[in-house]
Amino acid sequence: MNLKISALEYVQEVQNGNISAEDYVASTIEHVKGIEDKLHAFLSVNEKAVEQARLIDKKIKSGDKMGVCFGMPISIKDNICIKDSKTTCASRMLENFVAPYDATVIQKLKQQDATFVGKANLDEFAMGLSTEFSAYGPSSNPWNTDYVPGGSSGGSAVSVSAFECVASLGSDTGGSVRNPASFCSVVGYKPTYGLISRFGLISYANSIEQIGPLTRTVKDSAFMLNIISGLDPNDNTTIDNGNQDYLSGIESGIEGKKIGIIKEMIGEGTSPEVLSATKDAISKLEGLGAICEEVSLDMVKYSVAAYYTITATEAGSNLARYDNLRYGYEFPVEGYEFNSYITKARRQFGPEVTRRMIIGGFVPSAGQAGKYFLKALKVKSKLTKEISETFKRFDLLVAPTVPVLPFKKGEKIDDPVALFQVDINTVTANLTGRPAVSVPFTTSNGLPIGIQMIADSNQDKLLLQAAYALEQTVNLPEVPI
Amino acid sequence: MVTAEEIERVSKMMRIDVDDHREYIDKVQSMIEFFDVLDSAGVDSEEIPMQEIPISNLRKDEHVPFDDKLIEKLNHYKGTYVRAPKMSS
Repeated sequence: MNLKISALEYVQEVQNGNISAEDYVASTIEHVKGIEDKLHAFLSVNEKAVEQARLIDKKIKSGDKMGVCFGMPISIKDNICIKDSKTTCASRMLENFVAPYDATVIQKLKQQDATFVGKANLDEFAMGLSTEFSAYGPSSNPWNTDYVPGGSSGGSAVSVSAFECVASLGSDTGGSVRNPASFCSVVGYKPTYGLISRFGLISYANSIEQIGPLTRTVKDSAFMLNIISGLDPNDNTTIDNGNQDYLSGIESGIEGKKIGIIKEMIGEGTSPEVLSATKDAISKLEGLGAICEEVSLDMVKYSVAAYYTITATEAGSNLARYDNLRYGYEFPVEGYEFNSYITKARRQFGPEVTRRMIIGGFVPSAGQAGKYFLKALKVKSKLTKEISETFKRFDLLVAPTVPVLPFKKGEKIDDPVALFQVDINTVTANLTGRPAVSVPFTTSNGLPIGIQMIADSNQDKLLLQAAYALEQTVNLPEVPI
Repeated sequence: MVTAEEIERVSKMMRIDVDDHREYIDKVQSMIEFFDVLDSAGVDSEEIPMQEIPISNLRKDEHVPFDDKLIEKLNHYKGTYVRAPKMSS
């Protein structure tokens, strides 16, 4: 069984009767079991996946109305709830938590006959960008297993890159879909804020995070977006996209489009390899008929500090619910006073979550809020104005997804500020609510480099057209697994 | 400059207790000091926009029946009650 096909190719093959959902899913699960020792993309594997695929085949044979996924095997980041499945957020705190309901995105995928292969690894509560902060151990980059796969949706990116599924869902708060997509050479899509419901996504920083697909091709991301986007009464921040079809017209090209090259994202701190790849990508965009010129977004310099201030504050509030009474692990209450019980129970949080909880209490506290939290909100506001003005002159913006190549495991884990800097190119799209995509572009010393494109709010269709155009210019080596 | 005492006070407020206190304090201190760059952003006169959502845009505040007995999923459910730590020492 050839597992190295795209989601759309899978659908076509099953539809045409060339392969069965059961055979493909069974081969996928077998492949997962054979390779997981090396990669650790999954926190749990769905043992019923093959049986579920068999039922899909029966449905096809009986001529029932089929959903568009035809049993397509998908992995789901383990901070998105699937009813009756463990949802751990890669935390010991939630090691026994079984979700009592489906996230809206899961409901939509089930309605379209998707099969879930398993729950993908992540940094604990999505706080990190290497998966090294997973309480269950890091995932490995399939391009070189000594290196991190990026994060926080690292398991999702690994599973797509290493053919352990055909597509995945991650969540992107400051680049958590795009960063691992870039490090693992897959497509990672962060939609306009509100395009995809967050109902059933375990909250980290509600005001900026979004669920997004990770796929092998840009067309697959458009296909996934068609399924999971749209209004949801359970998430008041969702927007009406008028059931837009993101696949139609995706081959329209970008001739005549004006593309701004964000100066602050290719400056100091950008590695020579990444800079060279970005220049090459710009040449290719120009070759496709786009008009590229440099643009400055002054507030980008302050965006990482603003991002971590805002997200830590929201995380501090969201994590306050983990008192080990409503959700939690086995830890008897007998003999404890209320506050000391909670304090003791919270020792199960890992180091990064603990640090961010402390910061989340500090930066909005009386006497500090003016210096940190309110100033961060003002930077967010000014950055949003800057990008709105920029989109009056440009159709799209371009920058490397990550300013550096994937790094070795352990290389940055003890230096949180060094890790902060890796987010410099991705947080802007989150702080301003704009859609952004990472497109696999090239490799350097066997390590992938992705190029990021950003569009104005609700211009997701244009963004996917541009990403598709860029994707067609590249010829990447095969992942060495 | 953030002092170690300030960070310790906030940790207690957040009900966080850690074994390796010094290491946490040092790292949190370096992270918060990184945020000092916000001082040079020149945004003092910037307004923080508020988003108004009319009540009519919110979903109805009504009971939605749920199939499962959620209370039974709690860690310390004892059949007819939920065991919790005592409220004072």
